[in-house]
Amino acid sequence: MRTLRIRIAYTKVEEAKYIAHLDLSRVFERACRRAGIPLAYSQGFNPHPKIAFGSALAVGVEGEQEYVDLELEKEMDLKELLGSLQEQLPKGIRLLEGRQINPKARALMAVLNGATYQIRTSLTLPLTEEKLQKAINDWMDRSYIPYIRYNKKGRVEKDIRPWVKELKGKIKDHEVIFDLEVEIGNQGSVRPEEVIASLKKLEELPLEMEFLRIRRTGIFVSYEGKKVSPLEQEAFGK
Amino acid sequence: MKYTDGAEIREAIEQYLPKVMKPTRYLGAEWNTVVKNWDEVKVRMAFAFPDVYEVGMSHLGLRIIYHLVNSYEDFLCERVFAPWVDMEEIMREKEIPLYGLESFRPLKDYDVVGFTLQYEMSFSNILNMLDLAGIPWRCEERSPEDPWIIAGGPCAYNPEPLAPFVDFFFVGEAEETLPQLLHMIQEQKENPVSRKEFLLKVAQVEGVYIPELYKVDYKEDGRIASITAEPGAPKEIKKAIVRDFDNSFFPTKPIVPYMEIVHDRIMLEVMRGCTRGCRFCQAGILYRPVRERSPETLLKQVDEMLKSTGYEEISLTSLSSGDYTCIQPVVQEILDKYSKDKVSVSLPSLRLDSFDVKLAEEIQKVRKTGLTFAPEAGTQRLRDVINKGVTEENLLETAESAFKSGWSSIKLYFMIGLPTETQEDLDGIASLAKKVADLGSKLGRRNVRVTVSTSSFVPKSHTPFQWEPQEGMLSLDRKQKYLREILRDRRIKYNYHDVETSFMEGVFAKGDRRLADVLELAVKKGCKFDGWHEHFKYDTWLEALEEVGLDPHFYANRAMDYDDVLPWDHIESGVSKKFLVHEHHKALKESLTLDCRFVDCTGCGICPERELQNDLKG
Ligand code: SF4
Repeated sequence: MRTLRIRIAYTKVEEAKYIAHLDLSRVFERACRRAGIPLAYSQGFNPHPKIAFGSALAVGVEGEQEYVDLELEKEMDLKELLGSLQEQLPKGIRLLEGRQINPKARALMAVLNGATYQIRTSLTLPLTEEKLQKAINDWMDRSYIPYIRYNKKGRVEKDIRPWVKELKGKIKDHEVIFDLEVEIGNQGSVRPEEVIASLKKLEELPLEMEFLRIRRTGIFVSYEGKKVSPLEQEAFGK
Repeated sequence: MKYTDGAEIREAIEQYLPKVMKPTRYLGAEWNTVVKNWDEVKVRMAFAFPDVYEVGMSHLGLRIIYHLVNSYEDFLCERVFAPWVDMEEIMREKEIPLYGLESFRPLKDYDVVGFTLQYEMSFSNILNMLDLAGIPWRCEERSPEDPWIIAGGPCAYNPEPLAPFVDFFFVGEAEETLPQLLHMIQEQKENPVSRKEFLLKVAQVEGVYIPELYKVDYKEDGRIASITAEPGAPKEIKKAIVRDFDNSFFPTKPIVPYMEIVHDRIMLEVMRGCTRGCRFCQAGILYRPVRERSPETLLKQVDEMLKSTGYEEISLTSLSSGDYTCIQPVVQEILDKYSKDKVSVSLPSLRLDSFDVKLAEEIQKVRKTGLTFAPEAGTQRLRDVINKGVTEENLLETAESAFKSGWSSIKLYFMIGLPTETQEDLDGIASLAKKVADLGSKLGRRNVRVTVSTSSFVPKSHTPFQWEPQEGMLSLDRKQKYLREILRDRRIKYNYHDVETSFMEGVFAKGDRRLADVLELAVKKGCKFDGWHEHFKYDTWLEALEEVGLDPHFYANRAMDYDDVLPWDHIESGVSKKFLVHEHHKALKESLTLDCRFVDCTGCGICPERELQNDLKG
């Protein structure tokens, strides 16, 4: 039997941003079942639907362009699939585009290696544009930026600088809007809130940290200096 | 409270969602949620489940009541759960009131807040939730602008510890009477009469119990002298019962949560009631007689629910689904029709005979589920006392066929502290567990795993054992330690509950109204989530009892006399006291009472009194 693989770009915004990554697969599975989409399942006692995502989005972070791969058991018209799936998805998950991809294409997890974020936060004290730019430049000029994380093993210090490719910021009213580009590797990555927290601390910026509003504006395949969408077939197999 | 309208509350809550565990507990907006226009309905109800979201959403009663009320054009029903401690802390600190999940309106805005009473140890959460909502606890402290506080569920059969806090209790099955009450509330909103006049009117609805219309007097030794109904209120409250169960309301578009809940699947209610007659079992009395749904109805419901939910598993629920007379054809038909879509079936309550193993095997073809049996007692003698009509032979045969069909792990449930229990009965638990494990090893199964779980017997109201004392904590504790010793075997795992929780459960299960003061004080001192081991504050409960001046042993560990006035004597399950006394006698004589589904009526009394009969479809 020929299995069909579909790659879909979607948003995860509004209420849907609170759906945990672990629950997302179930949300898609049930939506597909309601929509009558013939998902392929793994073999064995506990068959799992063949649904695979790219890099996880933290709870509360909106995603403007996320990706999922679905494997089908039999052919289905793509337009019809997208239309009927959309009807069964919660508010905030909007399907943007879908393509049939090569069944042998590498998994999203394996190809996605870069992401951009927009982070908005309030100023706790006035700040000039100049000072902000200088702080960002100074921070970017550092060659080693330690960040402390806590995990099961305890306290771990990590250099987060290598993951940050670009950081820009501008002041608008009482808010700072940052645009951040990070690399995602198989060693992990850096979380946007870690970058902002480090910036605040090392460059002494008056940023409000409790309620950061974070959006992932894109996630992509960075290839020869270009950002390529995982929907573009050329990016695979190379 | 700082926030008073839905939009504000929503905004405030959303700010904190990324900071709490499992944020979708507090968000609403799941698939199949019913969101109605607040201003277009006449009566607004909040269904309140006094535990966390994932427990409450797994409850079939919630699914039924929520969609039932919403099926009326003039009514709206929203949901509210006990926020987990992390969220509660934020809500208290930021003064965000408890709200309904659909509209985010504060609970105070609703006309009715209806709690479900599944378990005595959730009582503290009821008061805590009212507090979070800024609603006064006692009926007498509330104003006409506050919602009516109502409650139903199994604990409504002895609701006395909650008497001062609840306006109306629903005794029995509320599918038909709840809409009737909501209509009355609508009328009261439109043309109000005095509280007293209204209460007396509502008191006429079948199964409605209004504690303030009943006066309880006590003897000097603390026992109840009398329970007197006010003129105009019924002397006895008869449980409400669904007569035409096959055609009664059942929701086929249940809500599908985002997060994983305890029972994350379609629940198909195949029947109601159980007449096996286990003498410790309260549900077996409360839901008599047996009423089954027809296969046609069930299959139609399955079809609708698979389409509306996208669930991949169907659980056939009831008190004992293996007894449903059409179980085999229904399971077969579901599997024939839907196993190609990877739909699986599970049976949460299995009976101990080989018929079920065949069935279980059938079910196993698609997905693996565990095998669980509840012999409840370790010897035939004690099983006869509790009228659990299974033999060791039954169990071993079943275990044998289960091992032969490929299972390697079996769970066994027992109770300790049952009336007349002796050392021999404890040894019996161990020897049964060993026999099962040996059988598995003999049949060549590797990784044989037998999990033995014991719970401590809590005498419950309306059962033949209601007069029995609960066994003391010390001796229960000793029994658990003894079992832990004699169950040492690498193939056997032993689980047990802490005895303090069972003791408090015993106090409230047989408690009276005076305990309301204790409950109030305990919640003020911080008690909540008592059913959660990590939150249960035993010492605080003892302190509260002490300060109020009540002795917990008086409730839990005292044998009651047949002619004592019981705190729940005015509430009728339909099963006669005469029958319960008779069953109690028979228990002590180790004499069995058969299941009236398969032999003649054994005389519990409900059928002739309510002009009903067991309604079997097979
Ligand atoms: S009245 Fe008789 S037939 Fe009906 S439930 Fe009771 S024992 Fe069974």
